Amino acid sequence: MSSVDVRARMNAIGVLKEKFKIILDQIQRGEKPTLVMPKRVLSNTIYDEKNKMLLLGPDVLRRSLIDVNEARKFMQTLLMASIIYEALVNNEYPTIRDLYYRGKHSIGYRDVDGKLVHENTWDEQKESDSVIRDLEVFMNVLREEMLILSKEKGKVVGNLVIKSGDDTIDLSKMGHGAYSIEPTPDLVEFKDVDAEYVLVVEKDAVFQQLHRYGFWRKYRAILVTSAGQPDRATRRFVRRLNEELKLPVYVLTDSDPYGFYIYSVFKIGSITLSYESERLATPSARFIGVSMTDVFGDEVFREVLDEVKEVGGFTKTALGKLKKKKPYLSESERRNYVIKAKQRDIERAVELVGYDVADKCVESSELRSKLKKKEGLTGYPWFRTPNWVRELCIFFKTLNKLEIEAMASKGLKFLADTYIPSKIEGGDWID
Amino acid sequence: MSSEAVEKYKAISPAEFFYKYKEIAGFANPARALYQTVRELVENALDATDSHGILPDIKVVIQRADPVQEFYRVTVEDNGIGIPPDIVPNAFGRVLFSSKYVLRQTRGMYGLGVKMAVLYGQMTTGRPIEVITSKREYRRIYFFKIRIDINKNEPVVLERGSWRKQRDWHGTIVSLTIEGDWGKAKARIKEYINRTATVTPYANIVMYTPDNEVILYKRVIETMPRPPKEVKPHPYGVDLEMLKMIIESSKEPTILEVLVENFQSVGEVTAKDLLSKAGIDPSSNPRDLKEDDLLRLINTMKSYNQFKPPSSSAISPLGVEVIKAGLTRMFEPEFVDAVTRKPSTYEGHPFIVEAGIAYGGKVPLSEADKPILLRYANKIPLLYDEGSDVITSVVKEDIAWDNYMVAFPAQLVLLVHVCSTKVPFKGVGKESIADVPEVRREIKLAISEVARRLRGYLTAKQKELETQRKVVHLAKYIPEIARSLEVIFSGDGFDKDTLVKRLVGIISAKTGIPENKINEVIRGVEIGA
Repeated sequence: MSSVDVRARMNAIGVLKEKFKIILDQIQRGEKPTLVMPKRVLSNTIYDEKNKMLLLGPDVLRRSLIDVNEARKFMQTLLMASIIYEALVNNEYPTIRDLYYRGKHSIGYRDVDGKLVHENTWDEQKESDSVIRDLEVFMNVLREEMLILSKEKGKVVGNLVIKSGDDTIDLSKMGHGAYSIEPTPDLVEFKDVDAEYVLVVEKDAVFQQLHRYGFWRKYRAILVTSAGQPDRATRRFVRRLNEELKLPVYVLTDSDPYGFYIYSVFKIGSITLSYESERLATPSARFIGVSMTDVFGDEVFREVLDEVKEVGGFTKTALGKLKKKKPYLSESERRNYVIKAKQRDIERAVELVGYDVADKCVESSELRSKLKKKEGLTGYPWFRTPNWVRELCIFFKTLNKLEIEAMASKGLKFLADTYIPSKIEGGDWID
Repeated sequence: MSSEAVEKYKAISPAEFFYKYKEIAGFANPARALYQTVRELVENALDATDSHGILPDIKVVIQRADPVQEFYRVTVEDNGIGIPPDIVPNAFGRVLFSSKYVLRQTRGMYGLGVKMAVLYGQMTTGRPIEVITSKREYRRIYFFKIRIDINKNEPVVLERGSWRKQRDWHGTIVSLTIEGDWGKAKARIKEYINRTATVTPYANIVMYTPDNEVILYKRVIETMPRPPKEVKPHPYGVDLEMLKMIIESSKEPTILEVLVENFQSVGEVTAKDLLSKAGIDPSSNPRDLKEDDLLRLINTMKSYNQFKPPSSSAISPLGVEVIKAGLTRMFEPEFVDAVTRKPSTYEGHPFIVEAGIAYGGKVPLSEADKPILLRYANKIPLLYDEGSDVITSVVKEDIAWDNYMVAFPAQLVLLVHVCSTKVPFKGVGKESIADVPEVRREIKLAISEVARRLRGYLTAKQKELETQRKVVHLAKYIPEIARSLEVIFSGDGFDKDTLVKRLVGIISAKTGIPENKINEVIRGVEIGA
């Protein structure tokens, strides 16, 4: 076992014992045992403007055994703590699924009518996963730091030498493969790096194409993919590249609301896991594309501006000052590559930027009235910027989206040697 | 009894009378007749006992009386006050009303019903009525076989006899043989006996049926309703027919004396005042007064506002204890309660409403829109016309059962008893009570009160159940919690038993649940693999 591993275990055991000693002491003093932890709910999720990330607010949850509504959760929390404790002491690396199975058993009891009832400590993994998250906030220790593993999803290649466990790995010598970002990225040690920036690609397929093309070698980049929604390990790994190696991070996603959201998860954090943003978010990450203006230019947006005074809370003048944009695709390429947006995409876009923007930019009155049910949505603050308002307004106006693969279809060479380098060199990203 | 009254009813023959009234009196067909006969005899038997402070022992025997024809012999025996032998022939063999017009709550209709039964038996089977009776103070028991001379309206005593009492017996045994239809009547008769027994838990009632069944309701309490007193009618409640009847049966020479002697709340001063207001000479012979005079007198009496309210001593409610015991005997309910309202009046008639409620236990499930209703008027069960009864209207329209935590169908029985010197029956069938505002109001108040008490019980029960649930809900997790803490802290001087004790103490202190209850739940917990 590596020394970092041992240190992590010792630390986690220490915190766990310390936190649960509070409960033990409460019981011994005859007080009602109460777990006090930050509330993990949307209403207690705060967008920190200054640090540009999603954080947990000040609300705390008091989970007491005496509270009928919390008793089961209280039991589950202690049960999960005991399982994690055992795994830590026994030098194991359980996955969250393992923890689910280890803790799942029945509690048989007599109900008020004297009938024997069997209740499971938890039924679905969703329940035990939620308890793990509670423990993370209660102990202020991430699951990775408790040596709990999850499926590896993220991959990385580039001129980077790391130490993982007791092995030193050169990430520029992975052949056609790539290094799988381990579930405990904090145990990785960065030994040597020769790169200018990090490029995070949403799509695994595009990552492979760029890798085989030799993109990272040619442009001295560290190439990462999250293969869809980024997992925690990938986000933590990217954050460390940015924070410790001082490398700028560029994110390349599909040109659609889901792609935009993936970028924001890297940058700001996710709403469901806001408690970990402080360690997982990369506030300086930049959205390189594919942007709507890359596809359509800004002509479409100007047409909208001609008819309104403001969009998304920004005046016509302010929006008019945005940098002019020419499309990377010709009229005929656009016709070939863009895909019609689905209702799901449109609704997601309303969630991101707010109903008022959709109301201003959507042309079809039929669709506008369809979206009326989303009237209460005011959008996430980090998408309420002039640049994003323009992006999403164009989306609403054209109701089209574009996958990165389309850019690669135009020619891998175009993507690797023209699109990406020119965007980075030209500072053509959204911050 | 006055000769005038006898004169009046000699005018129509009993046979005529019978045919005229047999539908109303309930003798329309053999099934109805059998049911009605049982009813008349049982009601007389109860009147002879509980109205006189005697705990009733009633025995009903119904037997086939002919191998071929549908003849039934109905025998009802009671341990009541008995009938003087000189009265017996007239009591069973002459169709007429009582000699003195007084009001008292009784079950039977002035003894008329049993004579209808005698007539019906005589006309269908030709067999006489047999009566065995003795009063407590008598040394002998008297025996009669009587028929009615239909043309003369006179009792004909076919046989009579007497023998020395061998044991201390008093009461009356009446046997009648009539044409009947047991097959069609039995459900009705059984229900009648059951419903009667429900409000007479102080009675032993046994019935032997032609199917060789023995149905027994054993006495469960010794408390009886207060017997009703006889009272004179109140002037508010008198109509023209009644006034005529009172005058005819009176002996007083002047109208002034008639009023003073025959009405409650009327003294000489009041009587003079009334007569002067009506423009009638107080010294007139009451039997000479014209109908116009009498009408004026009645109107004066009705509009006079200085009478004391009618006396309620003539009415005899069942009482809370009797209703509760009765419902308990029938249904062994989880909850039972009853209320007797204070006396009230309508149109000069005093009345009292009572309500009883029984929930759970062996109470059957009700219909989807109302509780099981047991209606009574003057202690007699009302079995028919439930839909047109004001009690049903109140239950369905005036009571918001949701407010009392009742959702139908429910295991809920509601008993309502209206007693009065004149129950406001609807129609001639006397099976439902009319919608009289004063009566409706009292019914509503009585039902609301018992329903409120039921809600009190249900609320307490729910609270108790919730507390129990809470105990279970918290305590069932203690073993798992203790086990988990043991995993983390074993070796650090951790003692699981002490921890469990502490947790039990904490839960008990915070919830007020006794520790033994919590421990009981914990002992039942099994942690699975």
